[in-house]
Amino acid sequence: MDNLGYLFAVNVFVWGGIFMYVFSLIRRNHSLKKDLDLIKETLKKDSGNE
Amino acid sequence: MSDASQKSDSPGYGLMGLTAATVLVALGAIFIYVPTERTEGVVQRIMYFHVPSAWIAFFAFFVVFLCSILFLWKKEREWDIYAHASAEIGIVFCSLVLITGPLWAKPIWGVWWVWDARLTSTLVLWLIYVAYLMLRAQSEAGSIRAKYAAVIGIVGFLDIPLIHFSVLWWRTFHPDPKFITTQGIGTGNETSMNITLIVALGAFTLLYFLLMGLRVRLERMKDEIDRIKKERLYSH
Repeated sequence: MDNLGYLFAVNVFVWGGIFMYVFSLIRRNHSLKKDLDLIKETLKKDSGNE
Repeated sequence: MSDASQKSDSPGYGLMGLTAATVLVALGAIFIYVPTERTEGVVQRIMYFHVPSAWIAFFAFFVVFLCSILFLWKKEREWDIYAHASAEIGIVFCSLVLITGPLWAKPIWGVWWVWDARLTSTLVLWLIYVAYLMLRAQSEAGSIRAKYAAVIGIVGFLDIPLIHFSVLWWRTFHPDPKFITTQGIGTGNETSMNITLIVALGAFTLLYFLLMGLRVRLERMKDEIDRIKKERLYSH
């Protein structure tokens, strides 16, 4: 039974799925980190103005 | 002010490098090192993704079970964070189990899916934890949501022994355990097959811890943003 192409497609699908999840986590982490830093900076500026 | 983004539980480059290296070794073992199985051919190699995915899904849901108990007992948000993170990762790997299983079954059995005990109970497990994540997504954050989620997290885990023993208790299409059997671990298998499976299990386990680090870090940052917002709201 020669299903090498099929096996390759399954492999691409599995790792594609895993990497998509990893990259979505990294992207969400970066986005939240940016938001958090922005909030902190705004708070610092606000407390400086008061 | 505690800085969630700087917490030490975020995955370091060391873990990332080790995971990437182990994944590459596992891929090398799966595609180059291990011999092709005589009856199933190259399609059998799908098992080196399917079995580790199942292992990680079960392990992730065990972590949900354990952390949910600890949350109900100690009432500490930390345990809720770990349970939530692990449930999401468990769903990802349980989805891979439910996808790679039929992809293996079609060329071997001739059908994508049969409603046998192992397959059906695995689908039920997936649905339980999808419900767990839906509950968390649809209800307002707080201790009530965490309590309900913890109860689902504990009850849902009871399906796992059923999945494991289903192939022994009932007549199923799903193959019997080949790696961990009553005769011992890996008995009767070719050594190279056992080594490949162990390396793949190791790679997926490292991947789990890497994903946990990223997911927990995300949840901590959300908590910190919420805390700052609440502090600002009450101070005005």
